[in-house]
Amino acid sequence: MFKGRKIQWLSVITLLLLVTGCSLSDPVQPELKANHSWQEITELAETTQVNMHIWGGSEAVNRYLDEWVKPRLKKTYNIDLNRVPIQDTQDILQKLRIEKQAGKKSGSVDMIWINGENFKLAKEQQLLSSPFVSRLPHYNQYYDQTAKDMIFDFGEPTEGLEAPWGKSQFVFFYDSAKVKKPPQTLAELKEWVTQNPGKFTYPAPPDFTGSAFIRQALYETTGSYEPFTAELDESALTRYTSPLWKSLNEMKPFLWRDGKTYPESIAKLDQLYANGEVWLTMGYDPAKAANQIQKGHFPKTTRSFVLKNGTLSNTHYLAIPFNASNEAGALVTINELLSPAAQMTKYDPNYWGEEMALDIQKLSSEDQKRLREIDRGPAVLPSEVLAKHRVPETSAKLVEQLEQGWKEHVAKQ
Amino acid sequence: MWQNSKPYLFLLPAITMIFVLFVMGLGEGISQSLGVYSSTDKLHFAYYVQLWSDPNTWSSLKFTFKIAFLSTLSSGILGLILSVVLLRTSDQTPLLFKTLQLPLLLPHFIGAYFIVLLCMQSGFLARIAYLLGFISDPSQFPILVNDHWGLGIILTYIWKETPFIAWMLYPVLKRIQNTWWDAARLSGANRFQYMREIVLPLVFPTWLTSCFIVFAFTFSAFEIPYLLGVSYPQALPVLSYELFTSGDWEKRSLALALSLSIAFITGILGFFTYILGKRIRTQKGVGW
Repeated sequence: MFKGRKIQWLSVITLLLLVTGCSLSDPVQPELKANHSWQEITELAETTQVNMHIWGGSEAVNRYLDEWVKPRLKKTYNIDLNRVPIQDTQDILQKLRIEKQAGKKSGSVDMIWINGENFKLAKEQQLLSSPFVSRLPHYNQYYDQTAKDMIFDFGEPTEGLEAPWGKSQFVFFYDSAKVKKPPQTLAELKEWVTQNPGKFTYPAPPDFTGSAFIRQALYETTGSYEPFTAELDESALTRYTSPLWKSLNEMKPFLWRDGKTYPESIAKLDQLYANGEVWLTMGYDPAKAANQIQKGHFPKTTRSFVLKNGTLSNTHYLAIPFNASNEAGALVTINELLSPAAQMTKYDPNYWGEEMALDIQKLSSEDQKRLREIDRGPAVLPSEVLAKHRVPETSAKLVEQLEQGWKEHVAKQ
Repeated sequence: MWQNSKPYLFLLPAITMIFVLFVMGLGEGISQSLGVYSSTDKLHFAYYVQLWSDPNTWSSLKFTFKIAFLSTLSSGILGLILSVVLLRTSDQTPLLFKTLQLPLLLPHFIGAYFIVLLCMQSGFLARIAYLLGFISDPSQFPILVNDHWGLGIILTYIWKETPFIAWMLYPVLKRIQNTWWDAARLSGANRFQYMREIVLPLVFPTWLTSCFIVFAFTFSAFEIPYLLGVSYPQALPVLSYELFTSGDWEKRSLALALSLSIAFITGILGFFTYILGKRIRTQKGVGW
């Protein structure tokens, strides 16, 4: 009898929670005004919680945020950084779009990690807050505000809607015990695969890295990256892509498994490389090999190389959603992530090992000295070499056009 | 009054959950596949037309159907044999019993990784072959995963679904009394006749239903064809996943149209399985 009562009450409470659950959790935050000074913003941000929704698939990134950034924010500003791991930034954008349609003013997301296609989408659909980067003291002091690879995100003007957090660059990896002289151009790579049949392949687009390899090959077959920073019409696209498909198809019979299938993900390609089934791999992260060697996954003799005419590079950014509840907290957090200390720690391979977004020339001489002392090991190319071989990304639209084209003209053949 | 409505009230939280998460989700999926995102949008079938006028979708359908059919047929036959073996040896081999429960506990993608690590050209088996001197390079090992025949996919499904079917049939077989065999023998039946005339008709309806469950699953599951398939043609669920996660939100409607098409095809097959099972049951008087 008593037990029955209890269940009744539980049912009622569950129902009530279901009905009211959404409205109970909305925190009230003081609103941020356009004329607030940085001092006032910092005061507003104190003792608040910042919800950072970020792709959780990288252990290095998670560790950097949890072990270094989080305690620092707590100590300096008394801000609680709540890292919410997500699978795909698009899910967040989808959520924001629905919230926008529904007119929800205070959302649960304060900061997102974004670039490329997602940024273009978020900008078009007006899912981001008003331009904010010029409010950040560290941005104004340490960042090159005219650099093309910063103010254009996959060809899309950033217009201050997102703050540069880091840079990635496309690099290839080889096992120096098996490959004496790695190829420097696509033509040399083609020659290499004919001499070493079955020892090279690339992930099938739309895998992120596989898709980047196709764009890299497009630059090589065209001889320049310049035509691709803007969107192309149908006929121009065909003119540029037909030599690309031809070239990839010529390579095909000499690829792993005779090019009849491709690894579905970069993880699979790395596995093939680690097992010695293929002798080259790639990644949109210059420090990847170093990390994989440390984990005992890649052979210790793994080294990196870039192509003579440069490899793709892009900047990734932090942005604030249009309905962030804690805009002040997000601003302070982003400013902190852009600081020389945070950027240099991020550059350290013990944390993340990623290229910095800030301009090294603008660092104090002490910091520059400290930077030179960070040893990234023989598997990572020196920053100067990477910087010298950097070419910008294509327009976001082309990324998808190439993915489609590859399926039609290469995979299906 | 209160006594009568009590069961309903108790069920309410569960029903609310099912309604909110499943029925509303399904409804949202259907409406988006028809191009209806808000109350002002007009309903249309353009996404379905676009999808099914693309020859790639058809080659994916063919491929998906092939792997689902072969996986179901193989696990159906093997499962039946296994269940008979289980029944006859259940007292002496507790280890076999436990081993066969294992695949039921492991998720499909773990099984898929297991097959990849075992069967890839630089996998465990290939390494043994290399150590024994049968091959000198990974590329000499036969291609068992990521192959055009879907062999790796079918292998994984057989590994996972054969025990499933065996366990579905086992309790049915268990109800057959040993004395029946003696009775049949007295009437002059041999083992084969006993199997054909007594055992098979009894398990057939359960076998058919289990096979349908396996088919419905293998036809619409994503993870195994994603990990073990080839770049072209892709299985329908993989195609749907790619459409859904591509940058273009227009394609989400296409992906939903494809997912619903998959559900529709499975639904039709389920209906036929039901009719077939019912007909056999009433006409021939099989089953319990």
